[in-house]
Amino acid sequence: MSNKVNRRDFLKIMGWGGVGATLAGCDMPTTVTLEEGKEQVTSYLVPEEYVIPGVGVYYASTCLQCPAGCGLHGRVREGRILKLEGNPESPVNQGKLCQMGQAGVQTHYNPDRLTRPMARKGSGLTPVSWDEALSMIQSKTSGLAGERFAWFTDTVSGHQAVLMDAYRESIGSSRHYVHEIINNSVARQVNQDMLGDPQPHLRFDKARVVLSFGADFLGTWQSPVHNAVEYATFREAPRGVLVQVEPKMTLTGANADLWVAVRPGTEGVFALAVANALSAKDPARLDGLPDKARQLIRRYDIKKASRITGASGDHIVKVSGWLAERSPSLVIAGASAEGHEHGYDTVAATMLLNIILGNIGKTIESSGTFPFPQLAARTGGTKDLIDFAKAVDDKELDVVFFRGANPVFTAPETLGLKEKLNKVGFKVAFSMFEDETTRMADLVLPMYSPLEDWGTHVAAYQPGPSVIAIQQPLMQPLYDQTRGFGDVMLSLLKMQKAAGYSDYPDYYAYLRDAFSAMPGSLKNGASDDEFWASVMQKGVLAVDTGEGRLSANVIDFDLPENPAKEGAYHLVPSARLGMWDGRHANIPWLQEAPDQISKVVWDSWAEIHPNTARKLGVKTGDAIKITSASGTIEANVYVYKGIHPDAIAVPMGQGHEAYGRYAKGRGVNPLKILALNTEGKTGELAHHGTEVQVSRTSVRDAMVQFGGSETQMGRKIIATVTADVYERTEGEA
Amino acid sequence: MSLSNILEDWSRYRKDREDGGFHDYEHMWGMAIDLNKCIGCNACSVACYAENNLPVVGREKFSKGQAMHWMRIERYWDEPDLGDDRISEFNQHGANFIPMNCQQCNAATCEPVCPVAATYHTPDGLNAQVYNRCIGSRYCSNNCPYRLRFFNFYSYYEDAWPAPLEMQLNPDLSVRDKGVMEKCTFCVQRIRSVKDKAKMDNRPVADGEAMPACAQTCPTSAIVFGDLLKHYDPDTNAPETKVTKMWRAHQVELGKPRQNKQNPELRGYRVFEGLNTDPCVMFLERVREV
Repeated sequence: MSNKVNRRDFLKIMGWGGVGATLAGCDMPTTVTLEEGKEQVTSYLVPEEYVIPGVGVYYASTCLQCPAGCGLHGRVREGRILKLEGNPESPVNQGKLCQMGQAGVQTHYNPDRLTRPMARKGSGLTPVSWDEALSMIQSKTSGLAGERFAWFTDTVSGHQAVLMDAYRESIGSSRHYVHEIINNSVARQVNQDMLGDPQPHLRFDKARVVLSFGADFLGTWQSPVHNAVEYATFREAPRGVLVQVEPKMTLTGANADLWVAVRPGTEGVFALAVANALSAKDPARLDGLPDKARQLIRRYDIKKASRITGASGDHIVKVSGWLAERSPSLVIAGASAEGHEHGYDTVAATMLLNIILGNIGKTIESSGTFPFPQLAARTGGTKDLIDFAKAVDDKELDVVFFRGANPVFTAPETLGLKEKLNKVGFKVAFSMFEDETTRMADLVLPMYSPLEDWGTHVAAYQPGPSVIAIQQPLMQPLYDQTRGFGDVMLSLLKMQKAAGYSDYPDYYAYLRDAFSAMPGSLKNGASDDEFWASVMQKGVLAVDTGEGRLSANVIDFDLPENPAKEGAYHLVPSARLGMWDGRHANIPWLQEAPDQISKVVWDSWAEIHPNTARKLGVKTGDAIKITSASGTIEANVYVYKGIHPDAIAVPMGQGHEAYGRYAKGRGVNPLKILALNTEGKTGELAHHGTEVQVSRTSVRDAMVQFGGSETQMGRKIIATVTADVYERTEGEA
Repeated sequence: MSLSNILEDWSRYRKDREDGGFHDYEHMWGMAIDLNKCIGCNACSVACYAENNLPVVGREKFSKGQAMHWMRIERYWDEPDLGDDRISEFNQHGANFIPMNCQQCNAATCEPVCPVAATYHTPDGLNAQVYNRCIGSRYCSNNCPYRLRFFNFYSYYEDAWPAPLEMQLNPDLSVRDKGVMEKCTFCVQRIRSVKDKAKMDNRPVADGEAMPACAQTCPTSAIVFGDLLKHYDPDTNAPETKVTKMWRAHQVELGKPRQNKQNPELRGYRVFEGLNTDPCVMFLERVREV
């Protein structure tokens, strides 16, 4: 038979087998005849199940790019996931997604994914089989004293968390460290102490004034997409006013009607001064407050507060005026308020404002009681990181399972975690990528991507109706040596002979069974199969959390008289919507997406105020050296007026030593030079409390920024009208 | 070909000759972008990368202005806040954000300069680019006052999607090669599939059915997309589209280099409309409480 393709053969191949010919076309030898090539040729007349050739079909799942738990609709065509969109059924994101969610496909298709299990032999990692890997785990954990085992993870919830707990308990350990560098642990503690609910619902859509102390709720705080959806309503007539008080302009600050720069650590003073101004106009507002709180409020008159915070007194008057006139309002506090040694007291001072203004129960609502506590989110901050480092240093741990978190990257250098980890005999990384922590592991288990795996998720912040978010695979796994997290957990549980897991062949079967076992009130009379199908179709399962009531308990708290150190520079390790805590540095789309404020791409930078720049003798693009007691980093500066002169902001996310071709060796990691100060009441890392010295240094590579002009040069590209014009033309009649 | 077809074609030809600039539009796709709601988060831009097979060019090429972001967020600081330090120490009203994608001008300055008619106007009112016809003269990009045309200086497909990233590429549109100009299409492939579906169901395209990736994902729904033609045709029974309502409410009309608004306080405006490019994207001014 001739090996030449004549015209007739070619037409036969094309007509006969659209899939084979077009998809595999590039790899096929050009001289294959129909007869020889027939095994590669599959006719579209016999499509795979649920595949309509040429038509994209949308399936529901859940976004795992941050812990907010947004619902997804993934467009699947010919077995490939092509595009992610928000799931309109999800009360979290209501059909919308942020840029990190959009880029979920690049996590999934990332060229630097781990494709097979590896074990440490000598100094390097060498491939092993799954059976070998699992039996290694079994041999290392058998006979282990229970408390010498620990989980170290990021936020986990749902049935995966149930399996993790079951495994931990089967070994007899109580240790599960949960670490998130972008967290609200301090505020959660304040919420618990003052409102009796660690994570109440916030109603931006109902508020007429939002006063935010460093809470970047449109960018990196709690549930950014949900907050943005509510923000859109907030900005409709009657239009709400947004005031942002913080040392470095966040994305939310960039959208504020009034952005107030305060000296790092003085947010609480600003809050108390606003309370003072409110009570000056209407003393009855302080009725019912304990004496201590009244004294605190009385301590900061406008003049004094202005001197301490560096904010203009007019702004304090203006903000208190807005709050007095427009009700209800909402006062929130985020990273820059929490991240000091007196962070708890600062957040308490902002919550005191909510109590004075009567916002509790109006814009701050109870989240009720989640009926399945075993599925609820285990979330955390940096206290667990510090505790973990201590436990490791004290040689209390022999086996640690890492999942999600990358502590070797996020831990400050002074914690010495990287060196201390050598004291742990057996480190297992459940990971998709070779990040800094995975690189140190003794056993690396390559995981399915979130778009290949099963799961259920309960976000720590449940806005409005609470939901269990469903994660279902949107396509076949790309690599046959990767496995689903739930599947691996079931294998391990079976090896542990833990009761109740032997019947499940895989995690899918376990989930099916778990949903069948859900109470009838959730099923609305549907059969188990119907219920499962409807949940998969919707992607979310709403659960009733009942009515709850918030308390308004003014706790005993105090602030240092002057919490700021004037003249000292403070390092602000800022969070970006995009890079997040550095977990998205390996996504090319997000590296090339300019930072919203500085418009820098593919790099780190340092934000400084023009006054600081003048002192240092630098301009935008020049390099500076930032030195703390525990190290030095260098970065090019971006000079602008969105930062307090005492603050130096360096965004988190870059400075990876590993983590693939797009992340490695790019920029600097400000977390590395943080001092080990801790917040006084919660033990969280005071991540905004590091004092630094700054000096000019020789030129690094040029910083790459989008856009050529910082202003519009008088052209009407963006025009601005005042809110009263808006009220006149578009306000409610 | 029937006689009636010939006569119809002839009269259309005559009308085109007699009323200069007459187009027999099926749709006129347009946008209204509310800068009171836009938060500058960049979700639209990344959604566009995902939908339209846009290559990542990397740091070096980005620094030369070769980034391929069809949809981008521009950020400006208030002018009195820069310039002179004595005016204000801080950017106290935040930033000015604007999403900029092809303005789909009806009198597009890019179109008449193309030596090979690779860029032309479709019966949908879109400013289209025919990649196969483009010879890369870059005259169009030179003539776009918005700088919203993007040239493939390299064969990005060679290294922008290392395997298996290329599996994400959208098969509904091509990956462009070196020497070709490209730009925002209002996600013409999404419009196309919606039109096909409507045609199969024998019904008009419903408002909100066609949705470009940017408008779909916008967390604050600041981007509203739809058919502007519903405004001009009183005979159809179809309800007015949301975007048309917004244009009318803000007294912005197509075909005018200067809007003669009864209420000059209304926020609607088009960027650089004084150049008589007649863009199909209307912005609503940013709002700040002072």
